[in-house]
Amino acid sequence: MAERTTLADAGEIPVTSTAKYTESVHEDATARAFILSSIGYFFIVGIVALLVAAKFLWPSFLGTIPMLTYGRLRPLHVNGMLFGWLLAADMGLMYYVVPRLCGVKLWSEKFGLATAALWNVIILGAVVSLLMGWNQGFEYGELPFVLDVAVVVAWIMFGTNMFMTVATRKYQQMYVTLWYMMGTVLWTAFVYLTGNFAALLVTGVNQANLNWMYVHNAVGLIFTPIGLAIAYYFIPKTANTPLHSHKLSMVGFWSLAFVYVWTGAHHMLHGPISQWLQTIAIVFSVMLLIPVWAAVYNFFATMRGQWHQMRDNVPIKFLISGVVFYLLTCFQGPMHSLRSVNAIVSKTDWIPGHAHMAVLGAFSFFAIAGCYYVVPRMFKRELYSDALANWSFWLFLIGGLGFFVTLWLGGFWQGWQWNNPSIPFIDTVVNLQPVWLVRFFSGVLMFGGIAAFAYNILATAIGAGGEKATDGAAVAA
Amino acid sequence: MLRKADNSAVAFVIGALVLFFIGGILTTVVPPLVDASWSKPFENSDPTKGPTGKLKPYTELELQGRAIYVREGCWYCHTQQTRTILADTKRSGWRGVDSPVSTPDEFVYDNPHMFGTKRTGPDLSRVGGKYDEQWHVTHFRNPADLVPGSIMPPFPWIAADPAESKALVAYLQTLGRAKDWRPDGDFEK
Repeated sequence: MAERTTLADAGEIPVTSTAKYTESVHEDATARAFILSSIGYFFIVGIVALLVAAKFLWPSFLGTIPMLTYGRLRPLHVNGMLFGWLLAADMGLMYYVVPRLCGVKLWSEKFGLATAALWNVIILGAVVSLLMGWNQGFEYGELPFVLDVAVVVAWIMFGTNMFMTVATRKYQQMYVTLWYMMGTVLWTAFVYLTGNFAALLVTGVNQANLNWMYVHNAVGLIFTPIGLAIAYYFIPKTANTPLHSHKLSMVGFWSLAFVYVWTGAHHMLHGPISQWLQTIAIVFSVMLLIPVWAAVYNFFATMRGQWHQMRDNVPIKFLISGVVFYLLTCFQGPMHSLRSVNAIVSKTDWIPGHAHMAVLGAFSFFAIAGCYYVVPRMFKRELYSDALANWSFWLFLIGGLGFFVTLWLGGFWQGWQWNNPSIPFIDTVVNLQPVWLVRFFSGVLMFGGIAAFAYNILATAIGAGGEKATDGAAVAA
Repeated sequence: MLRKADNSAVAFVIGALVLFFIGGILTTVVPPLVDASWSKPFENSDPTKGPTGKLKPYTELELQGRAIYVREGCWYCHTQQTRTILADTKRSGWRGVDSPVSTPDEFVYDNPHMFGTKRTGPDLSRVGGKYDEQWHVTHFRNPADLVPGSIMPPFPWIAADPAESKALVAYLQTLGRAKDWRPDGDFEK
């Protein structure tokens, strides 16, 4: 029952409590700033995503304006979603969660607000520079050097606030969310420096190796641990039930800490990089199943006896679907790294299907669930519309599944065609048109999900539903 | 002991960083020290050891062209690696001759590297010398004119700028040329 005590947050009101929301001792100014701005970028970059998907079907659409060509919009989509939406939302949720798990106020709200302001400057700078084509030429590392430096400064500011809050904590035991949060802060610092600074000092394959170490661990050691931090907090919290096992969560954490960093070279399988390094990357990629299955088992076991909540608890719907997508995407990952499978799926449209399931299906679902849970509490009023929240879930789920499944099937088929050199390359492009058509319309559904989510949160934040509910008992979501 | 460490933020920081750096250093710092071909430019004059040739540094013009290739994001759709897969050597080949696979020593002067991760258009690791300048400029103006069904976007502002198109074509013509793999040297200018 140790877990139950670790989740009894200072100033936090359990979902089923009849107490008033207004009793919270936390200011949450930084969390509000990060979460609201990140949702704004989610919406704007969602439009960019649709433009990018449309260009596969109508390649000359908006094509005569240099700023709006595929080569400029794609990095804007990727960077905007990763850093403008997901990482910022994750950071915002940490500003909410960490003080509550530590039983103290955030170390400094002013410093936090300055961090949020700097983060927004970085994202706006990124939009301008990517549209202008000021691209460094590294995947996930496109931003110009000045912005890289600003990201490091902002990250140190975030980490300082987090670690100082942990250092002044009242509860001695650190809940697993805090471990993942601290791991994210530490690893991200080094992973980011490797990909954006060390990579500039070398060339060729050496540079590519550092680049893939960064790209892989941007997902593996940034979005995975911070996403799991969120899932570990919000699954027990929204289901109002204790975590299954603290020990098992430690197994997951420490195996993730050891295993993830070795796998970067699996992005260059069969490519011009040393065979022994490819083999190491494959072995460690398969070992990734350990931290993944440890976490997923823990989540499912936590839900034991609580599955009926899947019916009407929207954050739980997002969280549990996110866990399923996490399990699937992290089963695909190790399988892709096997040479025989890689020879088919590598470089095909399968890969965006896989990547979107990780970043959208798993980690964005966790963040969305977190936003639905914390925004009513931060603004001390009921969620604007539970029905709209439910709509956003189904739009995301159906759109997401449409996107993932068609790209896997299409990508696998594409890989088979490539491996038959008697098929001219251009035929393999033309054959994929129906796949890209379904992908585009799946994207429209997902954008509907974004719009419903963003509208609901905004309406809650400005109090569009009136001040009907400061009574916590009414809130089921 | 374990329970005590479990409650200590300092023990946590040390553990998390040590585990990270074991894998981090062994996979990023060590490989270039072990494998010399990562930093030694390709050079071979012995035909019994495979294709002959020598990797030359890029000229000023080629570097300008490379910057355009980076700016326009060509690398989001075109990989530059002929992998150790039979079909890759056939597709990168030319007029019935299979291409040699890409090796690390062919990319020593590449900064930023342009290996790519997604192949929406064909791989370009051996495209140098396959098509002449006129073909490339026409292709940039509207790719579907030359390749019906192509979804490559048009780049009219490059085709209309002689300096840019000259530089970009100069860069493309270098790709895969370090290895002299085509029997009659039938390279286009």
